[in-house]
Amino acid sequence: MMAGAMDGLEGRADAPLAVRCRGVWKTYGSGDESVHALRGVDLEVRSGELMMLVGPSGCGKTTLISIIAGILDQDRGEVVVHGADVKALKGREKALHRGRTTGFVFQQYNLLPALTAAENAAVPLLVLGEKRKHAVQRAEAMLERVGLADRARSLPAQLSGGQQQRVAIARALVHGPRLVVCDEPTSALDQDTGRRVMELLKEVAVAPGRALVIVTHDSRTYHFADRIARMNDGAIVGVDAPSATIR
Amino acid sequence: MIGIALKMLLGDRLKYVALVAGLAFAALLVTQQSSIFAGYTLRTGSWIRDTGAADLWIMDPQLVFTEDNKPMLERSLYQVRGVDGVEWAVPMYKGWLNLRLPDGTRVTTRLIGLDDASLVGGPPEMVEGRLEDLRRDRAVIVHADQVGDGLFLKQGLAGEGPRPLRVGDAVAVRDHGLEVVGTFRSSPEFFWDPLVYTTYSRALQVAPPDRRMTGYVLARCRAGEDPAVVARRIEERTGLEARTPKEFEAATMGYVLDKTGILVNFGFTILLGFVVGVLAAGQTFHMFVLDNLRHYAALKAMGAGDWMLARMVFAQLFVVSVVGYGIGAGGAALTGTFAEGTGLAFQMPWEVPLLGFVAILACATLAGGLALWRVLRVDPALVFRS
Repeated sequence: MMAGAMDGLEGRADAPLAVRCRGVWKTYGSGDESVHALRGVDLEVRSGELMMLVGPSGCGKTTLISIIAGILDQDRGEVVVHGADVKALKGREKALHRGRTTGFVFQQYNLLPALTAAENAAVPLLVLGEKRKHAVQRAEAMLERVGLADRARSLPAQLSGGQQQRVAIARALVHGPRLVVCDEPTSALDQDTGRRVMELLKEVAVAPGRALVIVTHDSRTYHFADRIARMNDGAIVGVDAPSATIR
Repeated sequence: MIGIALKMLLGDRLKYVALVAGLAFAALLVTQQSSIFAGYTLRTGSWIRDTGAADLWIMDPQLVFTEDNKPMLERSLYQVRGVDGVEWAVPMYKGWLNLRLPDGTRVTTRLIGLDDASLVGGPPEMVEGRLEDLRRDRAVIVHADQVGDGLFLKQGLAGEGPRPLRVGDAVAVRDHGLEVVGTFRSSPEFFWDPLVYTTYSRALQVAPPDRRMTGYVLARCRAGEDPAVVARRIEERTGLEARTPKEFEAATMGYVLDKTGILVNFGFTILLGFVVGVLAAGQTFHMFVLDNLRHYAALKAMGAGDWMLARMVFAQLFVVSVVGYGIGAGGAALTGTFAEGTGLAFQMPWEVPLLGFVAILACATLAGGLALWRVLRVDPALVFRS
């Protein structure tokens, strides 16, 4: 563990590990064309923690978050999420693991345009086989938590960008995942809306037993993190408390 | 998830309509052309079905279909009557003879000579006169729908002008005078030479003499006898060919399909409809899937497995297939309804809509194959690429 790595984890330093990455390598292409996206990444995220991954474009943040989320396999190294070696899982088993344990918030929201807010928020439950009626009821309850109870029947096109991202947050949390990964959740939003989305994430997504990993470029949101992992050229160059990074 | 798949499909109105329209057009072409093809092929057996009363048709072994002319010796009739299991057997004459109409117009006709005593094998429906009128001196009956067509007096009589042939008119075959004593109606046929009925003995009088004059022997089997078994018995005993009406129909249909090329022509049109459907639906569905690829990737990231995604794609394809097929096949059926009485050979036996539906499902499945491949191959990590 690098120096300063536990700064920002006051009171949670002994919380169980949610994510553990050890010597993670990922290379795209082969031969002269190959690009090392990750070069031996070590990272730990504890339950109840909001970890931000920051760094310049092309530094490997998205590759790392994809591997942690179980939608991309590393070439070398070990990634354990809530005790499960994700790479060892295969096919349907891996899809089920993702469905049960992980919630996603995407940069472009990725809401299905033909579904209402409640139906969009219910998608993870439907994927897991829950009955539609019950799934939509749970989704409506989650929409209420993100302040969109009155927009449950609205289509995405009838919602503002901030409202759409709140629906996406409801969708990420509706099935009670133990890991939430967010890819640039505020980059498509104006400053004020982005701040409110981060406040909401901090308020409703951070919970004991659940870890949040957020990839962001937006330095205005750094103070919402418990810790910030700085990446450069495929490696973690430092893990600090937000105060250190902002400084 | 099927509900989500259908909402995705219906949510993109333009592509949904384009998909349905493509498949509906394919279904219309496939079903309509198949129905017309069925109509024409079924018409090849109309005369056999209308003849009705016989269990077996006995003919020269070299005769391949109804419009073939290979008469037998008259003793064939007595040979057939002597076979065990035959209740009765009657002769029938069939020949192609020139009929001279009152105004001198000459028409090649199919002259059918029916057994004088029983008149077995006559047309199914008389319009004017009675079938028994054939027993009158020099009597013939003609097709009611052909008197204004093939049997039309093109030159007309002095002072009358052109007109249809009618009951009471004097006609002639090889200078043998005949009189029209009635008109009949029968099922529309594939073959076009006008049908003229008379008695067997009169047909022999007017036809060019030959040792072989009996076109067919029509036979009825005794009760409880299997016609197929009796047919084999007749063939063994007489050396003639004995066919059930169904067998004779099938032989005629097979010969026509083999010799005319209508199978290839209609088959090509049906194939064209199928290909157009595959291309139109395939392109549109592929575009639909490409537009939604990020959503499929998101679903995959959220835990949807390949089988779940495949079911979603198949549900979308099934719905557009059913709707497209319904519109297309309905349109084809309407074509048939509106075409009634126009002479269009349109028959929609249950096999046609069934095969049409299978074809459209196959069409949609082929069209969706590439799209499904794209969905199954989509990298869920796509959701993290802006």
